[in-house]
Amino acid sequence: MTTSAQTVIAPARARTATATATVRRKEGFQHGGWFVAPFVALFALFVIWPLLRGIWLSFTDANISGEGASFIGLDNYREALDDPMMWDSLGHSAYFTLLVVPCITVLAFLLAMLAHHIERGKWIWRLCFFAPFLLPSTVAANMWQWLFTQGIGLFNETLGIDTPWLTDKSYAMLAVVIETLWWTVGFSFLLYLAALQGIPAHLYEAAKLDGANAWHRMVHITLPMLRTITGLVVALQVLASLQLFDQAVVMMDFGPGPELSTRSFVQYTLEQGFTSYRVGYASAVSIIFFVIIAVVALARMWLLRTREEATR
Amino acid sequence: MGRPGLNRRHLLATAGGLAVAGSFGFAALGTGADALASSARTRVRYWNLFSGGDGANMIAMLDAFRKETPGIDVKDSTLQWGNPFYTKLAMAAAGNRAPELGVMHLGRVAGFSPGRLLDPWDMDLLAKYGVRQEDYHPALWNRGVIDGKLYALPLDIHVQLCFYRKDVLRKAGLLGDDGRMIPVTSTTEWFDVLKKARQAQKKGLQTIGLWTNDQNFQWWFFVAFYTQLGGTWFDDANTDVTFDADKATQVLEFLRRHVTDGYVIPGAPTGEQFINGAPFTWEGNWSVPVFSGAKLDYGATPLPPVFGRQATHAESHSFVLPHQAGRGGAPNEAAHRLAAYIVRHAQQWAAGGHIPAYTPTLSTDAYKKLTPQNEYVQAMDHQATEPKVWFAGSTGILAQDLGPIVVSSTMGSARPDAAARRMKDRLATLLASKNPMDGQTAAQGGAVA
Amino acid sequence: MSSTQIRLTTRTRRPWTPSQIVLTALGAVVSAVFVAPVAAALFTSFKSEAEAAEIPPHWLPQDWTGQAWQALFETGNITDWFVNSLVVSVCVTTVVLLVSALAGYGFARTEFRGKSVLMGVVMSGLMISPAVLGVPLFTTVQQMGMVDTYWGMILPQCAPAAMVYILYKFFQGIPRELEEAAFIDGAGRWRVFFTIILPLSRPSLAAVGIFTFIASWNNFLWPYMVTNNPDLMTMPNGIATVMNSYGIQWAQLMAGGLMAGLPLIIVFVFFQRQIVAGVAHTGLAGQ
Repeated sequence: MTTSAQTVIAPARARTATATATVRRKEGFQHGGWFVAPFVALFALFVIWPLLRGIWLSFTDANISGEGASFIGLDNYREALDDPMMWDSLGHSAYFTLLVVPCITVLAFLLAMLAHHIERGKWIWRLCFFAPFLLPSTVAANMWQWLFTQGIGLFNETLGIDTPWLTDKSYAMLAVVIETLWWTVGFSFLLYLAALQGIPAHLYEAAKLDGANAWHRMVHITLPMLRTITGLVVALQVLASLQLFDQAVVMMDFGPGPELSTRSFVQYTLEQGFTSYRVGYASAVSIIFFVIIAVVALARMWLLRTREEATR
Repeated sequence: MGRPGLNRRHLLATAGGLAVAGSFGFAALGTGADALASSARTRVRYWNLFSGGDGANMIAMLDAFRKETPGIDVKDSTLQWGNPFYTKLAMAAAGNRAPELGVMHLGRVAGFSPGRLLDPWDMDLLAKYGVRQEDYHPALWNRGVIDGKLYALPLDIHVQLCFYRKDVLRKAGLLGDDGRMIPVTSTTEWFDVLKKARQAQKKGLQTIGLWTNDQNFQWWFFVAFYTQLGGTWFDDANTDVTFDADKATQVLEFLRRHVTDGYVIPGAPTGEQFINGAPFTWEGNWSVPVFSGAKLDYGATPLPPVFGRQATHAESHSFVLPHQAGRGGAPNEAAHRLAAYIVRHAQQWAAGGHIPAYTPTLSTDAYKKLTPQNEYVQAMDHQATEPKVWFAGSTGILAQDLGPIVVSSTMGSARPDAAARRMKDRLATLLASKNPMDGQTAAQGGAVA
Repeated sequence: MSSTQIRLTTRTRRPWTPSQIVLTALGAVVSAVFVAPVAAALFTSFKSEAEAAEIPPHWLPQDWTGQAWQALFETGNITDWFVNSLVVSVCVTTVVLLVSALAGYGFARTEFRGKSVLMGVVMSGLMISPAVLGVPLFTTVQQMGMVDTYWGMILPQCAPAAMVYILYKFFQGIPRELEEAAFIDGAGRWRVFFTIILPLSRPSLAAVGIFTFIASWNNFLWPYMVTNNPDLMTMPNGIATVMNSYGIQWAQLMAGGLMAGLPLIIVFVFFQRQIVAGVAHTGLAGQ
C-alpha cells in the first residue's frame, strides 16, 4: 500500500508542463497535510496523548482527583504481575473469548449458509439474524438478564429447567456467552453472507458438470473460498471478546458476578481506576492489556503475511 | 425521477442539515434538555441510590417538598446502588460538575476525601431550616464530623434483620405469648428452629433466604456474627491485623451449614420466596415496605444472637454536599433546605423500615406504633460495623475484597478455614496499602479523623 | 440492483422443492429463536409490573396495559436521553465523515513529508479503544475539563482509524484519470476533492456514516465513563445506570430498552440494502 501511495504524483508529471506546474505547486505538505490535519489533531488528542499519558501515569501513584501524583518507578507493574485478581480477571476474559469465538464463527457460518440457500424471503432471514446486533449492548444485556432471572425468567420456563444462570459461578459466564452469541452473531453472519454471495457461480456450475455432489461442492469450493473471511471473523471476534465489558456488567448489576466469576479484565481495570481511585495502578494494568491486544493484532498481521507469501 | 424526486431530495437535505446544525447547537449549549426547560428557577440536582420502597418514599417526600417550596426545582436522579453510585459521585466531583446534593453511606464518608470531593455543611443554614446537633445521638452525629466540620448529615440507621412469617411459625409452635418469635441464643437452638419451621412450611420453598450468592449480604451477615463472637479486625493503631481466623471459621461454618443442611435454595429470589411462604429471610430493613405491601403476617427481629451476644450489621444513609468549585448562593441554600426538610420529615422514611436518625421523630407516638419497626428499633444499640479505616464502608474496598471470599465459603467452593485464612491475608494487604487519595496507610491516618 | 431484480422475478417461478421446504422451515424456526427475546420484551412492556415479575412467568400479557410506556414518558428521563443520543450520534457521525474522508483522501492521493510514518501511527490506533485505555483517556478528558459535557462524549469518538483506513482503500481505487482531467482544467486539490471525489464516493461514505451512527448510538462504555450527570446521558447509558426509583421494574425496563433499540431496527427495515452493504463493506475492508 505504501508503494502505490508514493507513486501518486508520477502520472501527473507526465502531463503537459503547465498542468504539472499547477499540480505540483499545490502539492507538498501544504495540501496533503491540511487534508489529514483535522483527523490527526483529533487522533493525537484522544488516542496518542492518552496512550503516552497512560504510560506516564503507570509509573506514578496518581489518583482520580488529577493532582499530586509522584513517580514510583516500576512499583505498579511489579504489583500488577503479582496481583492474583488481575490474573483472574484476565483469565475470565480469555475464557469468555475461548468460548465465544468458535461458537460465533460456526454459528455465523451456518446461519449464512441457511440464509444463502433459502430462495424465498431473504430479507426476512437477514433481518431476524442481524437485528439483535442493532440493539445497544445494555439493552440486549437487560433483556437477557431478565430472561435468565430464576423464577421470573422465560428462559428456564421455556426449556423447563431451573438453572441459576446469574447466581452460580459455574453458569454465570455461560449466560454471558449465550447473550453475546445472540447479540453479536449477526455481524459475522453478514460478513459470511457477503462472502458467500461473492463466490463466482461458475465455480459451482463447473463442479456440477464434473458430477460433484453438494457435500463435495461445500468442502472443495465454499469452505476454501471462505478461508479469508473466516480469518477476519475470528480476528475481529478475538479482539472484541477480549474487551468484554458491557454485557457482563449489566447482566450482573455492575457487580463482578457470583464469586467474581464474570469480572473481566476491562472491568477490573475500571474498578481500580474509578472505584478504588487508583489511576496510576489502573494505567499500568491498562498498558499491560494494551500490550496483550497489540500482540494479538500483530500476530494476526504476521499470520496474514506469511500466508500471503505462501500462496504467492 | 423528475421534479418530485428532486423536491424530496431537497427536503431530505434540508432536514438533514437542520438536524446536524441543531445537534451541534444543542451540544454547544451543553446542559441537557431538562436543565434548559427549568432554567428560570433555583435548581437542585439531587443524586441518590434509593430504589424499591425507599425510592417510592423518597419521591413522596420530594413531592411534598416541591409542593411546599414551589420556587425550588428538585431534579432527583436514582443511580445504580453500590459502587457504580460512588464511582459516579466521585467522578462528578473530581470533574467539578457535581450535583448540589447527594446521598452517601456514613461509613464511606471518611474514605471519600472530605474537603476534596466533599464540601462541609453550613451549620447556620441547617439551623435556619430547623436541624441542630442536639437533635441527634452524639455518636451518630460525630461519625459525619471530620476535622471539626460536618461533612455528612445522617438521615437514618439501617440494619440487617431476620424476617419471619408468623403464620408458619405459629403452626410450628415457634411464636411466644407476645406473638413474636421465641428468642434464640445459640446455633443449636437456631437450627432447631429452622428444622421445626421446615416441617410446618409449604413444600418446594426454601426455609430461609440468606442471599448466599450475594457478596454484599454475605459480608454484612459475616460482620454481624463475627461481632457477636467479639472478633476484632485491627489493633487500635491500625498497625496489626487482629482478625481471628478461628472465630471467622466458626461464622463461615455457621453460614455454610444453612446450605449443607438444605435450608436454602442457592440463587432462589429471597423476597419472592418469603412472600410465597418461606418461613424466614434475612434482609435489610428496607424490605419492610415490600412485605407490608404484600399484606403478610410477619415480624422482624435483629439477626439472632446465636453466638451469645446481640449484634447486627448497621449502616446509615446521610446527606452530603459533593464538591463544587463555586458552591454557594441560592442552589446551595436550597440543597441545605431540602436535606433539612427530609431529615425532619423522616416519619415517612421510617415507614420504609429505616430507624430515623433525627431523634424527635423517634420519640413520636406515630413512630412507636409502627410495626414491625418497634420490634427491632433496639438494634440501633447493638450495631456491628466495619472497622473505621479508609478502605471500609458500604460496598467499599473491604467489602468488595472479602465479600466474595465469604460467598465462596457459603457456596462450598472453598473450605471455611481456608476462606478465613484468605480473609486474614487480604486484610493484611489492605492494611499495608495506601489510600490513593492521600498516599497514607490506615496506620498513618489514611484520611480518617 | 439490477441483479436482485432479476433474481426477484426468477424466484417467484421456482417450485417448492423438498429441500427448499426443509430449509425454509429450519430458517423459520431459527428466526423464531432469534426474535423471541425481543418479542418477549415487547410483550412484557405491555404487562403490569406485578405481572412482569410473576412466578411462573408467561409470554403474553393476561391484561394488556400501556402503564409501563406511560410511566416511562411521565418520569421524563427517557425523552432527555433520546435527544442526547440523537445529538451525540449526529455530531459524531458528521465529524467522523468529514475528518475521515479528508484524511483518507489525504493519505491516498496527496504527498507530504512523513506521510508513511503518520499512516503507520494512525493504523496502530486500530488497537486502541476506550476499553483498552479508558482510564488514561478519562484523565485526559478530565484535564481538558470535559467530563460531563457533550463534547467530552463526542470528540473521543471522532478519531476512528478504521474509518480512515476504509476510505483510504476506497479512494485508492478511484481511477486517477478522473482527477487528472480536472487538474488540467485548472482545478485545485480541494475542488477536485469536493466536486469529483466526494460525489463518486457516496456509497462508501454512506457505509461509513451508517456504521458510525450505529456504533455511536449503541456506544455504552465511553459515555458511561465520561458522564455522571443523568441529564446528559445517552440512551444505553441512562437505561443501564440510572435506575427507576421504584426498583427494577421489568416492564418499564423493557419498554425503555425497546425505545433505545427499535429506532435502529425500524431504520434497518427500510434501508436494509444500504445497511447490509455498509456493515459488510466496513467489515470486509478489515481484510
